[in-house]
Amino acid sequence: MEVLREKVEEEEEAEREEAAERAEWARTEKMMRPVEVRKEETTLTQETLRDLEKKLSEIQIPISAELPAFTKDTIDISKLPVSYKTNTPKEEHLLQVADNFSRQYSHLCPDRVPLFLHPLNECEVPKFVSTTLRPTLMPYPELYNWDSCAQFVSDFLTMVPLPDPLKPTIKSEEKVLPKKYTIRPPRDLCSRFEQEQEVKKQQEIRAQEKKQLREEEERLMEAEKAKPDALHGLRVHSWVLVLSGKREVPENFFIDAFTGHSYSTQDERFLGIESLWNHKNYWINMQDCWNCCKDLIFDLGDPVRWEYMLLGTDKSQLSLTEEDDSGINDDDDVENLGKEDEDKSFDMPHSWVEQIEISPEAFETRCPNGKKVIQYKRAKLEKWAPYLNSNGLVSRLTTYEDLECTNILEIKEWYQNREDMLELKHINKTTDLKTDYFKPGHPQALRVHSYKSMQPEMDRVIEFYEMARVDGLIKREETARTMTEYYQGRPDFLSYRHANFGPRVKKLALSSAESNPRPIVKITERFFRNSAKPAEEDVAERVFLLAEERIQLRYHCRDDHITASKREFLRRTEVDSKGNKIIMTPDMCISFEVEPMEHTKKLLYQYEAMMHLKREEKLSRHQVWESELEVLEILKLREEEEAAHTLTISIYDTKRNEKSKEYREAMERVMHEEHLRQMETQLDYLAPFLAQLPPGEKLTRWQAVRLKDECLSDFKQRLINKANLIQARFEKETQELQKKQQWYQENQVTLTPEDEDLYLSYCSQAMFRIRILEQRLNRHKELAPLKYLALEEKLYKDPRLGELQKIFA
Amino acid sequence: MNWLCDLMEPRVMDDDMLKLAVGEQGPQEEAGQLAKQEGIVFKDVLSLQLDFRNILRMDNLWQFENLRKLQLDNNIIEKIEGLENLTHLVWLDLSFNNIETIEGLDTLVNLEDLSLFNNRISKIDSLDALVKLQVLSLGNNQIDNMMNIIYLRRFKCLRTLSLSGNPISEAEDYKVFICAYLPDLVYLDFRRIDDHTKELAEAKHQYSIDELKHQENLMQVQLEDEQARQEELEKHKTAFVEHLNGSFLFDSMYAEDSEGNKLSYLPGVSELLEAYKDKFVIICVNIFEYGLKQQEKRKTELDTFSECVHEAIQENQEQGKHKIAQFEEKHLSSLSAIREELELPNIEKKILECSADISELFNELMMLEMQLVEQLEETINMFERNIVDMVGLFIKNVRSLMAQCRDLENHHHEKLLEISISTLEKIVKGDLDEDLPDDLRALFVDKDTIVNAVGASHDIHLLKIDNREGELVTRIDSWCTHLVDKIHKDEIVRNRKRVKEINQYIDHMQSELDNLEYGDILD
Repeated sequence: MEVLREKVEEEEEAEREEAAERAEWARTEKMMRPVEVRKEETTLTQETLRDLEKKLSEIQIPISAELPAFTKDTIDISKLPVSYKTNTPKEEHLLQVADNFSRQYSHLCPDRVPLFLHPLNECEVPKFVSTTLRPTLMPYPELYNWDSCAQFVSDFLTMVPLPDPLKPTIKSEEKVLPKKYTIRPPRDLCSRFEQEQEVKKQQEIRAQEKKQLREEEERLMEAEKAKPDALHGLRVHSWVLVLSGKREVPENFFIDAFTGHSYSTQDERFLGIESLWNHKNYWINMQDCWNCCKDLIFDLGDPVRWEYMLLGTDKSQLSLTEEDDSGINDDDDVENLGKEDEDKSFDMPHSWVEQIEISPEAFETRCPNGKKVIQYKRAKLEKWAPYLNSNGLVSRLTTYEDLECTNILEIKEWYQNREDMLELKHINKTTDLKTDYFKPGHPQALRVHSYKSMQPEMDRVIEFYEMARVDGLIKREETARTMTEYYQGRPDFLSYRHANFGPRVKKLALSSAESNPRPIVKITERFFRNSAKPAEEDVAERVFLLAEERIQLRYHCRDDHITASKREFLRRTEVDSKGNKIIMTPDMCISFEVEPMEHTKKLLYQYEAMMHLKREEKLSRHQVWESELEVLEILKLREEEEAAHTLTISIYDTKRNEKSKEYREAMERVMHEEHLRQMETQLDYLAPFLAQLPPGEKLTRWQAVRLKDECLSDFKQRLINKANLIQARFEKETQELQKKQQWYQENQVTLTPEDEDLYLSYCSQAMFRIRILEQRLNRHKELAPLKYLALEEKLYKDPRLGELQKIFA
Repeated sequence: MNWLCDLMEPRVMDDDMLKLAVGEQGPQEEAGQLAKQEGIVFKDVLSLQLDFRNILRMDNLWQFENLRKLQLDNNIIEKIEGLENLTHLVWLDLSFNNIETIEGLDTLVNLEDLSLFNNRISKIDSLDALVKLQVLSLGNNQIDNMMNIIYLRRFKCLRTLSLSGNPISEAEDYKVFICAYLPDLVYLDFRRIDDHTKELAEAKHQYSIDELKHQENLMQVQLEDEQARQEELEKHKTAFVEHLNGSFLFDSMYAEDSEGNKLSYLPGVSELLEAYKDKFVIICVNIFEYGLKQQEKRKTELDTFSECVHEAIQENQEQGKHKIAQFEEKHLSSLSAIREELELPNIEKKILECSADISELFNELMMLEMQLVEQLEETINMFERNIVDMVGLFIKNVRSLMAQCRDLENHHHEKLLEISISTLEKIVKGDLDEDLPDDLRALFVDKDTIVNAVGASHDIHLLKIDNREGELVTRIDSWCTHLVDKIHKDEIVRNRKRVKEINQYIDHMQSELDNLEYGDILD
């Protein structure tokens, strides 16, 4: 019953988001008895009214006043706004209306559960439920549609089970409670089992064989089966009802806030609805819920089915057109509407809660502390916020063999933002087979890698992304003794290569740095049909039997044939009777040709073909070794990646991306400096002179001319001053030098070598200073007229001295 | 010394020279030994080099059927000849010779690279067959007319051209002209054409090029129209109703009928003729349309038949392939088992088993084939019956339509005769109002003459109609017979081939086994 209130904070968020979708909060319970539909209401006489009033005032409303077990320590009340702590007069009025409504209701329907109208908020202040809803549009596109929004809310909420109202001490039952919406009711399992049983009975032979198994199964089933629910039909729960109409919602449905799942209104796990509310009104269900919610009609405008609390706030009809119409009317007859409001209806006061704010961090973190664990039957799902785990793990699903969750069957781990593009890791604990799935973009184009051990030359399957590799490899399978590769889209039409390895020969000399590859016994290669060649020249399969020095060829089959040409080469190095080496003999090439040809009978042709194949054999052998090396490389790379597990950060992620942050800061710095420089260049020469004049007035021509002259003469003076200053310094330095020289000449004889050194170094320094001053003076003399002209030009162009131009115009 | 002598003496391309050249240029070392041992057949040679041999006349090349590359540069050849058989030739070098005209290249459809550098050629032509030509070297010749370039526009693959050292290369806008008229060219005189030159050329010659293009387009359109017409006619011919979609037959009736033409000047005859023609043409068009429809029907029938037969054969082949694959798998393992077996009696036993397997495979394959033959025979017979029926119906209907034509003709004849006789009567009475042409009046001498004239016209008309009908019937009959014959023959050929294939395979398998036996016994 208190589910709603105990987590007001979180639910408010949900409420307000959902309100945007004109969701209705529903409160339900199993209707124990059919509801009597009131009819006499309209025919109340004065007397009965008084009587009623009396009766009503006597009724003690069992408002859901029990304090929730959940502590409110976590909420700092002092920081909350005033609206949380007090009620406005309008709210007070509303509460009175609600109390009155509630009194009437409990009088008329004494058997029904008291209404959930104004629970206490975190500040112990009663607030009407509708005012706890505040429609808010959030800046996240994920929250725009109900499914992802519900998912977010469910992630955001933490389920805290209530103490059992019947047997508060028994904790085992409590644990069962939260599972109500997470597992399928065992009833379903039962019926299916019975069906199965029936089928099995018909198959007697099988039945006997499987009997033991089945008994075992039965036992397990029994163990799994939830104990009968003592609170069945007594539990009250809140969930979201979305009505059809707006935003292309085709039909009404429920959303369970804890799981974020949607349910049809026909779902039999929803036993009934007590009342509904949204941010505008509050309705009580007057329909019979004997058949769960299946027969409910969600036409809130029908006062017989849905008893509303406030009249006229929403004209009760919730269909889209109605609302639009009323919107238009609002504009037209504001006065009439106002009167009506005063007379009959009562406005729902504005929501007292603050607008919800979800920071991007909180949004990304989703769950409290970024972590959430959901326990399912025989399975556990863990969720983490992205970047929370340093290896990029975002969720893990562990499935168990038993109900106690001790024997792990398999583990699935999902990753995000991995630099090695790892997406999913699947570990099967029974076979010990690990399978890694990658997104496109791995440096080795990996797609799937399944293995039992990271040691080379073991059972392993590596799949690659199609078209990502230059050599067209799409799959490589390995066992201890074989390696099979599958190709696609190669220019040489190779489709398959299979290598058999022999046992490794032990090398005597361990000194050789090179690895000791396994000897290849046999290589089989298959090719796709190359339509550019005639079938009898297009090899379909070639087998290199390296140990026997035998090469077998099988050609493609011609379209209208059933047999294909074959050729077998046997390389025998023999010597004839005269001791000459036999190059080629007819028995070294045994061929079967579907259409015997002239030129293939030639020894030269066969010899050349054989030589070609020998070369190919070498290449293929090499290729196999290369592949082995590549596997080693991939394994090494994988190990490194696993060890490093670097995460990528999008360049748009300005918070995490250090580089972009630095860059942005640098850019900002540069911008700032640029700005300063610009300020400098825009030094206003005219400003001091303009300040003398009365502000805001347009300059007369005479004033402009004077201003210009003043400015120019001032500048001229500054230039002259500067020149004089340099000149003065120059003269001073020269004089000093001359004095020193004089002094030196006079005392030259008596000077110690140290003094002389001192004098000499002074001289060179002084000379340097004089030279620099001279240069600066010359430069100033050169530039001064130019600067003067530049200023003059600038002043002419200054818009404030526009009058000047007129003189010359 | 010898070489100098050669210079003096023009030589003949005889067998010895070719053999020598082939031997020198053929395989070397081990392969060479083999080649020598076996002898090289000219047919297998792919490339031949015959330069600096003072050859005067090209000869004896007909055996090199598969030659791809032929070098005859630096000789004294005066005429291109004897290359007709070398249809696979891709590369031909005839530079530094004394050739005056381009000729004898009409069969070299695969030629991509042709060098006629340093010859005495003055005109580019006779290269039409060289549709794949990419490189053409004509430098140091005597080409003096720029219009030769336009001839080269037809070679869509031509990318490299050299023409330096010709009189035209002296011309001022030589380069620009070529670039303009051959826009796809990449290299000219061994240099890449830069984009700037291309733009310049385009700008300079745009007008004339556009005009040329327009003309070429017109020609193309005309050609296509002509082709389309030809195709249409071909289509009508396959329906055996060509020229029946109009007044062609009617016109042909009067083409050789002088009397009929004369008589048309009689009063009232032209109207009669007009009505007659209209009706006649309608019937002709009926025949035409009916013919096309029937042709469509026959085609569908044939297509369906071919498709079904093809499918049946394919499926049968797949079954055969599968059987063979199964057999081979088993056979290979038993062969290796035999090789590993040490006991002689066991070997013999296994060989016998293998042999039995082979004959069983033979039986299975032959059974499959026999099955297919029977199935196909049935289908073919059914198709034959159907197509013959269709043709028969078509002929019957065409005959009845033709009979309508004849009726029209008879009717017209009667009318004409009536008018003629009444006119004669009028003439005899002398109260004929209208003037008649002289040659027509000459017919009205007496009744016999005029009746004969009208009759002759009638006979010609009937003959034409009979001929057309006869032609149609004969042609469709022979088409039908040929078709059926061909289907039967094809099936027989297919069957023979398959039986031969099976036998060949089985023989091979058996002999392989026998050889193994032999080898084992030897061991």
